[in-house]
Amino acid sequence: MTRLHLKYALLTAAIFLPLLWAFVYVRNVYPVATWNVMMAGGLLERGRSYWILRGETVSGETVDIRPINLTNAMYSRTWAMVNATVDNQSFKLQNIHPTNAELLRQAGGLEHLPPAARLPDLLRAWGNLYNERLPTSSTERLKAIRLDMYRWEGGRYADYDKFVESWRQEL
Amino acid sequence: MAPGIVNRVVPSSAFALGVARVVVHGTFLVSVLVTSFSALGQLPVTILRPTGAMKFLPWTFYDQLLTPAGMTILKLAMVVSLVASTAGLLTSVSTKTSFLMVLFYQGFVRSFGHFNHDEMLGVYCLAVLAFTPCGDEFSLDQKLRKIRKDRPAFAYAYPILLMQLLMAWVYFSSFLIKLRIAGLSYLSPDNLPALAIYHSLDNLHDTAFTWAFWLPQVKGYLPAAVALVLLWEFLFPLAVFFPRLRWWILGGGVVFHLSTLFLMNIFFPHQLALYLLFVNWDHLARKFKFR
Repeated sequence: MTRLHLKYALLTAAIFLPLLWAFVYVRNVYPVATWNVMMAGGLLERGRSYWILRGETVSGETVDIRPINLTNAMYSRTWAMVNATVDNQSFKLQNIHPTNAELLRQAGGLEHLPPAARLPDLLRAWGNLYNERLPTSSTERLKAIRLDMYRWEGGRYADYDKFVESWRQEL
Repeated sequence: MAPGIVNRVVPSSAFALGVARVVVHGTFLVSVLVTSFSALGQLPVTILRPTGAMKFLPWTFYDQLLTPAGMTILKLAMVVSLVASTAGLLTSVSTKTSFLMVLFYQGFVRSFGHFNHDEMLGVYCLAVLAFTPCGDEFSLDQKLRKIRKDRPAFAYAYPILLMQLLMAWVYFSSFLIKLRIAGLSYLSPDNLPALAIYHSLDNLHDTAFTWAFWLPQVKGYLPAAVALVLLWEFLFPLAVFFPRLRWWILGGGVVFHLSTLFLMNIFFPHQLALYLLFVNWDHLARKFKFR
């Protein structure tokens, strides 16, 4: 075996052995991936919650806002980011951000933390990004931004938009 | 696999591997250029959930990085490195720096959302190219050096084969996992409509197609359609070894990924771009007398 063969054998093993491990245990541990996209399929009986981002303009209009137009780096990930933020997942890590650790301490633990504790920060960031693109005199600027939560209870292909709650952030 | 077989299965020239470098690095270069890093820098660091290897970095690092200025510096560094690696300038260094920076950035964006798989195949291809002689031809290095490096054809053919096998693994393992986890229930008539409608309800997905709501009307036919997709995933490895089947299988892939876009608002553009790794660039270059 030449040096080239050995080098390529090592490269192949370095890439494929972790992938095989991830496949066997069906685990994604970045950067090791297993292609488990949609592995379980959809269940009609299972209810699902979802969110619509909206803004309230200075002129009094309510407009739908697509976050992909504000933070396109979150391409294909925005809905999972919102899901995690509403679920306070950044407070459930082994190593929590010091600011989150302090908020958790003040609240008296995870069970006392209100849902979506960091959502106002995210909404404010999106609201500011939206307004930055408009002249300061524009009546299309937002005075508030909100995330409306809906639920499709499942069971049948109808009644998709049962309103659950809303989080609103003044800008 | 014996070198002789490898050289027969895939293109085996330095030129073909150089084109593969342009395809992979160029895909990430375009992706980085069209992404607003400064907007990303305005997101709050307190919603970040470092994933996998990203957990080894301290919070003070993320505090410094996740600012408009920090992210703009990261973008500039990535663009410089990716331009160099795409053009084949200082290739042995620039392919490694591009690989490391893309690896970091992809982990970073995954720390906000979920483990999206679109770019992962490209990340592994960057790893392959970082440790193989992909700058010997079709590169600025070659123009500046003007001395041909003498390497066996296997040195160029095997990396191309490895990247094609990685893509085959993506689809084939996806098929196996679906069978392992869901079994035959994956062919339930409600599987696709329920999943597709869920992904079409919010305005947080990147597109707003509503074709999913039409699926319940044809749900009797959907188990057959899903079975066809599973069969296509199962057969994908044949695209590596049988050129005559290749274009049917890759064509099926284009239809599949466009279907997920229109039905589920989920798209894998990076992965689709890497289908170009299956083009026999040696053959095309001969045909059009490019070389």
